[in-house]
Amino acid sequence: MSEAEKEIMLDLLCDKFVYGLDENESKQLSELGFDAREADSIEQTIAALGLVDLDSEAAMPAHLQAKVLRSADAFFASETSAAAAEAADDELPSRQIVLSGGSGSSWFSWLGWGFATAASVALAFVLFTGRGADNRAGVQPTPTPIPAERLDPSQQRQRLIDSSPGEVIMAQWGKGNVKELEGVSGDVVWSDEKQAGYMRFKGLAKNDVSKETYQLWIFDETQDPKTPIDGGTFDVNSDGEVIVPIDAKLKARKPAAFAITIEKPGGVVVSDRKRIAVLAPVKPTST
Amino acid sequence: MAQGILNKIAAGDKTAVEECLKKYGGLVWSLSRRMLRNSDDAEDAVQEIFLDVWKNAGKFDEQQSSETTFIAMIARRRLIDRIRFTSRRISADALDDVMAEPVDRADKTMQTSLEANDAVKALNSLRPEQQQVLQLSIVQGLSHQEIADRTGMPLGTVKTHARRGILQAREFLGLGSLDSAKEVHA
Repeated sequence: MSEAEKEIMLDLLCDKFVYGLDENESKQLSELGFDAREADSIEQTIAALGLVDLDSEAAMPAHLQAKVLRSADAFFASETSAAAAEAADDELPSRQIVLSGGSGSSWFSWLGWGFATAASVALAFVLFTGRGADNRAGVQPTPTPIPAERLDPSQQRQRLIDSSPGEVIMAQWGKGNVKELEGVSGDVVWSDEKQAGYMRFKGLAKNDVSKETYQLWIFDETQDPKTPIDGGTFDVNSDGEVIVPIDAKLKARKPAAFAITIEKPGGVVVSDRKRIAVLAPVKPTST
Repeated sequence: MAQGILNKIAAGDKTAVEECLKKYGGLVWSLSRRMLRNSDDAEDAVQEIFLDVWKNAGKFDEQQSSETTFIAMIARRRLIDRIRFTSRRISADALDDVMAEPVDRADKTMQTSLEANDAVKALNSLRPEQQQVLQLSIVQGLSHQEIADRTGMPLGTVKTHARRGILQAREFLGLGSLDSAKEVHA
């Protein structure tokens, strides 16, 4: 390989792991040829450099963690299904499948055919429903994987309040700076201990999802007021009472106020606070 | 030596899944949000990434890389696929958001892992223009053309800084010392 070709090859490898390659670039790289160890080391370098400036406080939201755990259960169950099928083939003609014994720590051991089949279906469901566990009332309805106990958002909210009545804080929504939304009422409840909460609204207008979204901000006493915690975005597509679970991106330790702003679709990292839909200062009272 | 999380997952130890999420969930979530700039997309991506992690846990070789780097590699592959599929690579417009992120959070910036610390050192070891190009491309996701437009560097110079910077950082991180290393000093 000439020096010029080598430069092109290295450029393509770097591009591959920073941006990805299109069909022509992939073909060109393939034609040039490259050392797999070279590619691996470049990919590792880029992955390591990509760790720079990541925010360690950006903890994965609890509801997302729950989704990942559910999909992990389903994935490993489907793996078990495949393992069981192999075992069955090995055991033919008796069709006796040994799923017990062996390593006590193996979680493959406690699953049987029926569960494995069901889990495979569950995996497909989890994978193909995307944000399936999103259960905001009055908000874009999406399929919900079957939980152990079905509670609607109102019941979930009540359960949170009942679970630790002295600890859960509640604040009433008041007007922000958007004249059309001055009539919005409702409240927000939050548990520091459970890092969970719910917002309840009456009169919050439906938003045009192609143009804007609502975004919650949590002003925590431990956080600089200039950088409130992103509480997640949500859309409203129905009238009447709307209950939205809070999706805090960071751990909120002592919220002093909650604010809803109107932002571009997808939300923003820092709000310009030009359109504050509602505000809820926390008073030192509990539910 | 204690068995790593990925090895435990590959061996079917269910407790390691939660351990993995606890240790690397923030990294994957943070990386996804930064690269996709959209929480909903990031949520979908995180689920896909961890599915890839479960699938590939058996391929992890601690002699080749750390768990952090391995998971970051899996995450980046998936995120790049999503970005290319949706053609929604972070744009110069979105950069305003990045720049608007608070700068007074040094105490909370992710330097929780040795890898992140080493990466910062590797980046700092480069020439300023190389640092700038890698910061804008790998960290902030700008294309080479966007970097050229933003910095005023010719496109070819941006590419050269990117390539040489990556190869030099690789040397610094001790990840490779093949013939191409000579190219760094060309």
